Parts: sequence; structure tokens; C-alpha cells
Amino acid sequence: MRFIIQRDRLIQSVQDVMKAVTSRTTIPILTGIKITATEEGVTFTGSDSDISIESFIPAEEGGDEIVEIKETGSIVLQARFFSEIVKKLPLGTVEMQVTNSFQTIIRSGKAEFNLNGLDADEYPHLPQIEEEKTLKLPADLLKTLIRQTVFAVSTSETRPILTGVNWKIENGQIICIATDSHRLAMRSAPIEGEEQSSYSVVIPGKSLNELSKILDDTTDLIDIVITENQVLFKAKHLLFFSRLLEGNYPDTSRLIPTESKTDVVVHTKDFLQAIDRASLLAREGRNNVVKLSTMDGGFLEISSNTPEIGKVIEEVQTETIDGEELKISFSAKYMMDALKTLEGTEIRVKFTGAMRPFVIHSLNDETITQLILPVRTY
Amino acid sequence: MQEMYPKKGRVILHVDMNSFYASVEMAYDSSLKGKPLAIAGNVEERRGIIVTCSYEARRFGVKTTMPLWEAKKLCPQLIVKSPDFDKYRTASVAMFDLLRQYTSLVEPVSIDEGYMDITECHEMGSPIEIAKSIQQRIFQTLDLPCSIGIAPNKFLAKTASDMKKPMGITILRKRDVPDKLWPLGVTEMHGIGEKTAEKLESIGVRTIGDLSQANEMQLRHALGINGLKLKNRANGEDNRGVDPDSIYEHKSVGNSTTLPYDSTNEKELLTVIHTLSEKVAFRLKRKNLAGQKIGITIRFKNRKTITRSKTLLNPITSHKNISEEAKALFKIHWNGDAVRLLGVTAFEVIEKQEAFKQLDIFSYQQDAKKEPLFSAIEKLQAKYGKKALQKGTDYTGGTSANMGAETSFSKDFLDRQR
Repeated sequence: MRFIIQRDRLIQSVQDVMKAVTSRTTIPILTGIKITATEEGVTFTGSDSDISIESFIPAEEGGDEIVEIKETGSIVLQARFFSEIVKKLPLGTVEMQVTNSFQTIIRSGKAEFNLNGLDADEYPHLPQIEEEKTLKLPADLLKTLIRQTVFAVSTSETRPILTGVNWKIENGQIICIATDSHRLAMRSAPIEGEEQSSYSVVIPGKSLNELSKILDDTTDLIDIVITENQVLFKAKHLLFFSRLLEGNYPDTSRLIPTESKTDVVVHTKDFLQAIDRASLLAREGRNNVVKLSTMDGGFLEISSNTPEIGKVIEEVQTETIDGEELKISFSAKYMMDALKTLEGTEIRVKFTGAMRPFVIHSLNDETITQLILPVRTY
Repeated sequence: MQEMYPKKGRVILHVDMNSFYASVEMAYDSSLKGKPLAIAGNVEERRGIIVTCSYEARRFGVKTTMPLWEAKKLCPQLIVKSPDFDKYRTASVAMFDLLRQYTSLVEPVSIDEGYMDITECHEMGSPIEIAKSIQQRIFQTLDLPCSIGIAPNKFLAKTASDMKKPMGITILRKRDVPDKLWPLGVTEMHGIGEKTAEKLESIGVRTIGDLSQANEMQLRHALGINGLKLKNRANGEDNRGVDPDSIYEHKSVGNSTTLPYDSTNEKELLTVIHTLSEKVAFRLKRKNLAGQKIGITIRFKNRKTITRSKTLLNPITSHKNISEEAKALFKIHWNGDAVRLLGVTAFEVIEKQEAFKQLDIFSYQQDAKKEPLFSAIEKLQAKYGKKALQKGTDYTGGTSANMGAETSFSKDFLDRQR
């Protein structure tokens, strides 16, 4: 294998596939990046066996030569060293050449590295995907769907299924749901050409986080292929495979309250900033609890009290408060996480009681639902 | 009297009760006086070890932590009593009350020892007069002997109180350190146990004098930051203040027990954990605390000891919850080897009023059921004040302090002394 490649493209591809590489793996060769050169271009592959990423650099793009292929072939190089090396090479082009017994020379300007490689035949094959169920989403919408839900997945392995985001495709819609059982995030969006299909999968939150980092904010359509136990995201020159989580996702539809006892409409930014200020004194690393009380005159009182530090009280003017008066305590972090996903200048919060879940929507948009469970004192 | 006090610096007393449990027994029953007496845990069982013994027993070679059978061999006429913590607690409370008559800067360290800062007490006399007065009054009113160390800091005061027992009063100045401490082996120093002594030995430090001159790099390497602290102590330096509140700062609440015999029976071991959890829960409840982290200790037959813990989402207080968490930890970390000792500890404890439970979407209904009750309580409290109505579990008056403490002393009771 021997080729000369533009360094910035090389760095980009290596960075993308590095998202899948972990040093903690039971399969030693997966600490490496596989590089395959064909007449068409060079393919980079990284995997931790849950996530696999393939990035392709074409030999030619828009009439420009990006890679000059001198000899086809493949090699696996230690990801940790290889990625650091390419970042620090001196010139705009890099030559890579595999000599005998997997020795790989990386040359740029007057710098020359000699890395010990591994046999690419030892590298596991990527999952074979049969194109059964596919849907298409613009990259920017896909990223938004992920951002608005994935933060709510569970980080604890006590219920592994909750570490993923549930994607339901039904009635020409995609519904993404994530919950760690203390809060829940749900977002729906219409999809084209899928009116007849109905299925449900659970994608690991970690996979979606990594995918979101790699995708550009464009309106390019991403092909999403779903099989029994894998999902594949196909973008231009990029394949992103993820394992699906096994098991049944709990039915959350009945958990989201439909009616409300206290209904508050408030300016999103004012509310978020008040919560943020009140949480300053709530202890670090703990539940970070703030208290919300409805007051006369359409005010909300946001307060927090940490005996050894001090207390804070702030009044927030609302648009409207309807229904019963209420005092409720909840995690400031959960509230801020939720508010940051909501679009629009105003939000509606529907409370159903001091010890029951409450729901937050953008005022005129119910495609995003954020639900939070309060805390109670002992 | 001002001239008897240092111009800058402090005067610290360390009051150490002499063979406290045995002395209390003798104060209650004067027929025991002058006889070899030992206080020991479960007399029939293997864990029957000497908790403390009178000076008469010590003359036969009987020592604290010695197994009972060994002590009996050395001293066949030894009188053995099992501990009566109620008695000791009463005596301890009275003793600390007496100390507080001299200054409010009294820091109880355990049931039978404490520090006092008498820097500002010159109107009551010289330090040695105050020490004499304390010693005599404890002896006259409580019939209990104690030794007192007088020094410019805690470490030296504690070292001094140890120098003359029983009924000693020893002054240890910083300038006495080279003569009095340096010739001694490092194990004579407070804060140095066998393990630390071994590590010090490996870098050629055998005496306190060696330690005072030891290379800081080597010390840091062998013992970490603690090494430097020990070197300071060896030079007679210790800047810890006397903190009357230190006893009230709870960091953990734990109980452990040595099994009557080494066991590999999971069911039996889990039962022990269940019982220990009950004690921990009881003590938490009495102190109105909740634990945010639960840990277990397992000591195996070969004395190898492991501790494992888990940080919880919600602070817990109940026997059931503690037991569940502790058992789960045990099941994960027990390798099946014979177990000699088990312990259960609640870490990072906080006041229950400050603890919150994050409700769960799949189970909040259970909590929500009590909602009407809580809102009624809140309304009444808003109207008549917090004390007007409290949940039954919050009521802490008048419970027995007996549970949760067996052979080792429990400092819990000091909490409510103020």
C-alpha cells in the first residue's frame, strides 16, 4: 500500500473514526485504525464493536486530486499514535507506505515516522446490513432530534434499556424518547415516505452523541438503515454503524400526564436564568434542588436554601398562572437541561401536583415534550 | 498568672481517663477496688477480647485486645465483666460537663478522652494548677482516675498524658522533644501503627528522632502527605486547634462485628449484614441523618480486608434500604472465601431535613399517595411553626442509646450532650 494524501482530509477522517476507537477493548486490534487504499480512494475504519465508523476519502473530488494512489493495499495502525502523528505533520501532503512485515512509513516534508502496523486481515468485518427499513432525515434535523432527547438517557446500568433513545416510527412520524426515570424527553417529527411502516428500536445514547459530533449542520439527507440488531447512518463518504439495545423499552405514553392542575406560561429565558441563579447555592454534585412556589399577582417564587452556605429567593413574573396554588421542589439541573432544548420565547409548564411529574412545552409547539419528576423531602 | 502562659501559642490539655470502663465499674462497686478486673466482650464466644482492664490486672501481663482465654491463663483470679455502656456513658457525660466548667473549648475525642484549650484561663491559675484541680475534682466527685498532659499543642498533650499513668500530670514543652521523644521507637508515637512503622523501617527510620530528621522526599514517597505530617509531629509541631464541634460532624455511621466462627455460609453472612444494617439504620434515625453512600467491609479468614461502597441516587435511612444495598454489594464482591468480620457503613451522611428523594417516573405514585398528608402537615407547620407537628420518624427524644454499640464505644451519645 502506498499513497500520497492531503493532510487536512486525512486529519478529518482520522478524527471522525477515532470517535469509535477506545483503548478499553477486549479485542486488541480494535485499538487500531484500519486503512484501506483502492483505486477509488482510501477508507478509514474505527470500531469498538458497539460503534463502527467508516470514513472514505475519494481519489478525486470535483476535479481535484485528493489522494494519489500508488499501490493498493491495507494496514491497521495504532490509533493513539497515528492520530497524534497526523495532527503534527509539517506539510500539507502526507505520504504513507507499507513496507515488509506491516512496517508503515509516514512521511511529510522532512519528517518520517516508522510505525509498526498490524495485519488488516485480522481486523473484524463490519456488520453486514441488509437494507430492510430505511428512512431519510436531513442532517440538521437528525442532530436536533438527538440534542433534544439524548441528554435524558440513563447513565446507570441498572436498567440498560434506559441508556438508549427509543425511536418509534409510526403514522408517518418519528418519535424519539429518552428517560432516566427521573425526567423524560420526547420529540416527534414527520418523515416522508414512511406512512405505512411501524417499528421501534432503541439506539445507545453514546452512539447518538458520537454521531452528532461527526455530522455537519447541513440539510443533506442522511440514510438511516435499521435491521434487527444494527442501525446504519449513511452520509456522504461516511458510514456510522451502531448496535441496537436489546429488550423492550417501557411504554412511556401512559406516563405522560395529559391534564394539569396548575398551568404556568413564562418567558423561557427569564425562567432559565432565575433557575440558574437559584441553583448557584444548591450544593454541587447533589440533587441541586430548587423550590418553586406560585404567588399572588402572577409571580413565581424560585428559591433555594443550603443551611451552611446561604439562601436565595427570586420572583419571576409570568404571563399567566392558572389553577391551584403549588409548592414544588425539583432538580435545577434537570430543569435547565430541559429548558435548553426548547425553542420559542415562551414555555408552558403543566403541573399535576407536588409529588407528580410535570410537563414543559414550547408555548405553541407540542412536538417537544420535556417531563420532570420533582423531589420530595424526607 | 499570665506569666505562666506563653505570650503567643496555646496551652492544651489532654485528659485521658485511666482504664475507664474498669474504673467506672470500681466506682460503682467498691468491692472490686484493688482487684484484677477486666471488661470483655461476649464472654463465651471467640470474640471475647479484653476491652480494658484494671492496673492490678495489667500487672499480670493482661492487656487490651488480648483474647479472654489468654488473659485467664496469665491471671486465673481475673474478674471478668461484660461492658455496661449505660454506666460508662453516664460517667463520660459527667466528666465532660466537669471539663466544660473550666472552658467551653472542650473537644471530646472518645468516651474517655478529650482535649481542652485553656489558653484564656489564666484567671483560674497556672496550667498545672488547673490540671491538678481537674484531676482532683474528677477523682473526688466521680471516683475516677485520669492522666493529664499539658503542652502547646494536641499532639504533645496527648503524648504527655500517656507518660504517667494512672493519675499523672505531665508537662511536655517543645524543647523537651529531643530528650524525651527522639530516643523512642516510632511505634511509641500516636498515629503510627505497625504498618506505618514497617514502611518507615524500609527507609531506615526507627526512632522518633530519625523521623524528625527524615528526608521529606522519601517520607512522601513511603507515606504520602501523612509522612510530612508525622515528621512535623516528631518535631513537636501540630497546628490542629481544639474544636468543640468536631464530634458533631458526621461523616459516616457504621457497625461491624467479628463472627463467632469463620463462615462461608452465604445465608448466614447475609443475615449478619441484615442485622448490622438494622443497627446502622437505628443510629442514623436517632441522629436524624441519611446516608448518601453505603459501604461494606469484609475481613477474610487470612485477615485480608476489603471495603466496597456505592454512591446512591437518593439518601437512605431505612433498615430495609440499607440492608438491600449492603447485601447487593456483598453479593457482588464476596469471592466465597471464609469471612471473619463483616461491617456495614453509611457514608456521606447528611441531616435528614436537607435530604431529598428524587421521584421516579415508574414509582412516584407511592410517594404521591402521601401527598395530601404532607400538604396538611406543611399547612399546619406554616401556621403553628415547624415544631408543632413532626413526622413520627423525626421524633428523637427518649430513645434508648443502647443499640448499635457493643464492644467498641460509640460516640453517638456525645451528640446530645450539649
